[in-house]
Amino acid sequence: MAGLVVLMFVVAICLLAPVYAHSVAHVNPFSSNLQGTTMINGKRVQVLQSNTQGLGFGVTPIGPTWNLQHYFLGADNQGRDVFARLLYGGRNSLLIGSASALLCCLVAAILGIAAGYFGGPIDWVLSRIFDIVWAFPIYLLAISLSVVLLTTGLNVGPLHVGPGSLLLPIFIIAAVFVPYVARPLRGIVLSLRQREFIQAAVGSGASDLRILWKEILPNVAPSIIVFFPLMVAFDMLTESALSFLSIGVQPPAASWGTIINDGLGLLYTRPWVALAPGIMIVITAVSLNILGDGARDAFDPKAKLRGSI
Amino acid sequence: MNRISAWRRLRVTVASLSVVLGAVAIAVPSSASSSSGPSFTYQPSHAGGTLKLLASTAGGTLDPQVNYTLQYWQLYQATYDGLLAFRKVGGAASFDVVPDLATAMPTITNGGKTYTFTLRKGVKFSNGQTVTVKDVQASLQRLFKVSNPNAGTWYNQIVGATACLAKPATCTLAGGVVVNPATNKVVINLTSPDPEFVDQLAVPFGSILPASAPAKDAGTTPIPGTGAYAFSSYNPNRQLTLVRNKYFKVWSAAAQPQGYPNEIDMIFGNTVESEVTQVENGQANWVFDPLPSDRLSELSTKYASQLHVNPLTAVWYLPMNTNLAPFNNYMAREALNYAIDKNAAVRLFGGSKLAQPVCTILPPGFPGHVNYCDYNKGMGSTYNGPDLAKAKALVKKSGTAGMSVAIVVTNDSVNEAVGQYVQSVLNSIGYKATLKPLSANIQFNYIQNTKNKVQISLSQWYQDYPAASDFLKVLLSCQGFHPGSDNSINIAGYCNKAIDAKMAKAETLSISDPNGANKIWGQIDQQIMGTAAPWVPLFTPKQIDFVSSKTGNYQFSRQFYMYVDQLWVK
Amino acid sequence: MAVFILRRLVSAILVMFSISILVFLIFFATPGVDPAARIAGRSATPQVLAQVKHEFGLDRPLPIRYGLMMDHLFIKQDLASYVNVGDKVIPQIEAAAPVTLSLVLGAAVIWLVVGVAGGVIAAANRGKFIDPLIMFLGIAAISVPAYWLGQVVNLITQSKLHSSIFSWVPPSGYVALSSNPGEWALHLLFPWLTLAALYAGIYARVLRAELVNALNEDYVRTARAKGLSERRILLRHALRCSLISIVSLFGLDFGSLIGGAALLTEVVFGLPGVGQLTYTALQNLDLPVIMGTVMYGAFFVVLANAVVDVAYGFLDPRVRLA
Repeated sequence: MAGLVVLMFVVAICLLAPVYAHSVAHVNPFSSNLQGTTMINGKRVQVLQSNTQGLGFGVTPIGPTWNLQHYFLGADNQGRDVFARLLYGGRNSLLIGSASALLCCLVAAILGIAAGYFGGPIDWVLSRIFDIVWAFPIYLLAISLSVVLLTTGLNVGPLHVGPGSLLLPIFIIAAVFVPYVARPLRGIVLSLRQREFIQAAVGSGASDLRILWKEILPNVAPSIIVFFPLMVAFDMLTESALSFLSIGVQPPAASWGTIINDGLGLLYTRPWVALAPGIMIVITAVSLNILGDGARDAFDPKAKLRGSI
Repeated sequence: MNRISAWRRLRVTVASLSVVLGAVAIAVPSSASSSSGPSFTYQPSHAGGTLKLLASTAGGTLDPQVNYTLQYWQLYQATYDGLLAFRKVGGAASFDVVPDLATAMPTITNGGKTYTFTLRKGVKFSNGQTVTVKDVQASLQRLFKVSNPNAGTWYNQIVGATACLAKPATCTLAGGVVVNPATNKVVINLTSPDPEFVDQLAVPFGSILPASAPAKDAGTTPIPGTGAYAFSSYNPNRQLTLVRNKYFKVWSAAAQPQGYPNEIDMIFGNTVESEVTQVENGQANWVFDPLPSDRLSELSTKYASQLHVNPLTAVWYLPMNTNLAPFNNYMAREALNYAIDKNAAVRLFGGSKLAQPVCTILPPGFPGHVNYCDYNKGMGSTYNGPDLAKAKALVKKSGTAGMSVAIVVTNDSVNEAVGQYVQSVLNSIGYKATLKPLSANIQFNYIQNTKNKVQISLSQWYQDYPAASDFLKVLLSCQGFHPGSDNSINIAGYCNKAIDAKMAKAETLSISDPNGANKIWGQIDQQIMGTAAPWVPLFTPKQIDFVSSKTGNYQFSRQFYMYVDQLWVK
Repeated sequence: MAVFILRRLVSAILVMFSISILVFLIFFATPGVDPAARIAGRSATPQVLAQVKHEFGLDRPLPIRYGLMMDHLFIKQDLASYVNVGDKVIPQIEAAAPVTLSLVLGAAVIWLVVGVAGGVIAAANRGKFIDPLIMFLGIAAISVPAYWLGQVVNLITQSKLHSSIFSWVPPSGYVALSSNPGEWALHLLFPWLTLAALYAGIYARVLRAELVNALNEDYVRTARAKGLSERRILLRHALRCSLISIVSLFGLDFGSLIGGAALLTEVVFGLPGVGQLTYTALQNLDLPVIMGTVMYGAFFVVLANAVVDVAYGFLDPRVRLA
């Protein structure tokens, strides 16, 4: 239950991002504010502060004020409110993470079960496709895709995908992790196929579709449910890497991944910009996993003390 | 041509009087045939040790006639010599051209078309061979055989170059380069007079290499040179090593001084953050890469004495495509010039101590530069700030409001930050802006090709040599505009026949009257910005070098930046 | 069995062939990556550009270029970089491989020890406080982006606390084992820990799950009935059985890491391994090097897959039939 509560809390504050930005902090988190000022302790200070010591090089954004009304977590190098961006970014990260995990688990379930159940040439072809996808370097795919997107845009039939489209990171991330989920599912189905109850169903002349639906699916469903939260966590991490390569969330919009990347450039002076989204990813991932455990226990009460990976 | 060199020397020597250098022998400017003038005085007590330089990635091929990166041009100063060289001293005198492997500046005859050099005797390559006029001839031919980047733009004026460009393998430059082993004379014939030919011979492309050097890009295999150091090994993933050239003897300290460290290592593969940390901790001597912006305040506070800041003759600018909506409309270009706050861009670069906002094409301190500012808040020839109201009105008047604009930048942190700022400004004056950050390796060619329909981009230009034409003619004449090609350096696509004619006039004049010519270049600069505004000039950056506490004798060349070989580790 | 291995070999070659074609096509289908313009330099004329194109064979039809590249890579073995002209790809990989191997081997020891210990301790104490704590640490370790963790580790050990408790930490980089074993280990210590964190987290969680499952199996009940101690049951019986899945997981992870999947760790710590080679080549869009490292990486991934499959084939004949 704790997992659900934390997750709901994260989702809720992210949904409330516009309310926070407009009514509490009164900032526009999507507009550069290089010469702007803010009030701290009754004093008007610059959001980007020029260094006045030593030789006077460098301009540093203000750090966390720990005051929800002004720059709670400080500013990034464009002078934008990091906390407001963190909330807005959470919406994109959660959306991409859960949508791609859902898509990935769905495709992996279909392909993994098909490969394990039908065997023969179907299994061989699908397994080789898994091999290719798994051995293919995602960074190469991502870099070349980002260039295509940023330059000409991708045209798939009537659909035009521009660089700002979130569909693309969702599809890429989902595709990349399909073998990761599908392989173990194939293995499970492969051994289920040998079990007496399946053999009996085949012997009784039940149709493949019926066996898959009635006998196989209920037995692999717990594994899929265990995989799902883990995939959401993995996918959010992959999203941050892809954002760095300019696929998906485009500036000035934000995701936790893009904020981490902004923050890495400020790590030595304003570590909170990178730390905060990292912590948010960990909190979300952990609560999703606890939730996953709970869901699996509900499916299979006997496994109360079992673990998930 | 002689006069232009003399003029440069004079101007430069006067300037150097005001520059305090550790070891300068100030000489009276004399005739063009001498290499006197300021030079470093060698202090043998500081010789020895290993200098450790850090760079995140290697700079590509090591061939001095192919490589076009500052990273290696800086190292070539200590390893290769041309017939001529830029003077190796600090301050403005480093823009001065002096004889190097030639005994004197060339005698120029035939209306500025024939250059006669005498080769210095007894200079040896690092493989022990003596430099002969045959090597000089072969090196100039080799420019075409290895497809030197500027073979078609600089060296195409040598007689016989057309044949060499068409068929590089059989390049002879017949009639263009004539040598006489008996008298040690080298005669170069040009098809037309060119005031910049001496500069073009003094950059590393003009290096004299053994005639036996391969007739193709030598890549990672070092070619012997005549400098104080020689490359001994090169692994682009690990390290580049320079050791002393054991055949080297000083012939002119102004052209090729003796260096201090016994070995110079450039180590590749660290992140910039860790490079800075290593120099802070005294584990390495110098960082090649631009310093990360979040370390600047720490460095300038705690390590102030180890930082060296020098102005550069360079410009960061936003070229706007003058042939594509919305920036095919002069009012739209004007509007953006009014709207961008150059001081904000300066802050993203590291603050007002590290960059200076500019309104001109030619950077401050550059030949021909005139101080003016057409698009400014209020009046005045220096920049005061943006005028957003005027910008918004101009956008409305131009009828381009609401259009989509994509800005193409490189994906490193400073460029992307400036890009995000420009995006924000474009949105605020009525456009729908998107940002396209591309890898630095792609972006520079991508923004040049008209097929890619780039509306606006962020780019930089660092001088090759100090001449106004290196900015104005290269970047804004019809000659630099090649629609549909990846090499179309006139990114704005600005082509004005009247301006081109004026540039030709300035070039011709510069042979007889360099000052008069620079006045015309200044007018051209003002005319282009005032009537067409194809760019938004942002700022001129400063070079900031960070050396370790145990590294001494920092010397800076305006032309090739820090002298690596002059650093003391002892 | 021989037929099974042969079939696996054929499919491995097929997979590598498909990947090489994909890499090649992606590179040349991407606009703006034409290497000729970059090789030619910043103000080359179209004439010079055409010449460079011809010299590098970039003006020939795509299938011929693909064939030539494969010929240079696998048969002549003299494929060279487009960016650092003349720098041959195969020696580069040969030089980088020991660095990656050092990183991955050391990290593997750490993550196996920590992961197995964590999994066993959590399973032995299930239901108590320490079990969810270990599982929480595991998921936290999985959830931390590796490059972010590496940067934070560098920030702390090289800069913030370098003058006090971390003054013994050497600058980032690599020292060969043959030249100085002590320095080798010292330079690799933090990279090992950073890389191991993620895998230790995964392994601890997988092992705990397997152990808890095993503890419910019949043979464990039999052992309990025989009166064996709980510790002995866990370590002697359940663990031995559960390690099979750990070993197969290890095979896959180890294969892909040796092949260059530790890319970000290598980059952050300045280790000149295969991952960093790939990263630099990607940054430069240097196709010959990309092709070389991708083939090298794919080889290990495919090999690891095949070995794990063959091992399963030995253990479980039913898999072979399928």
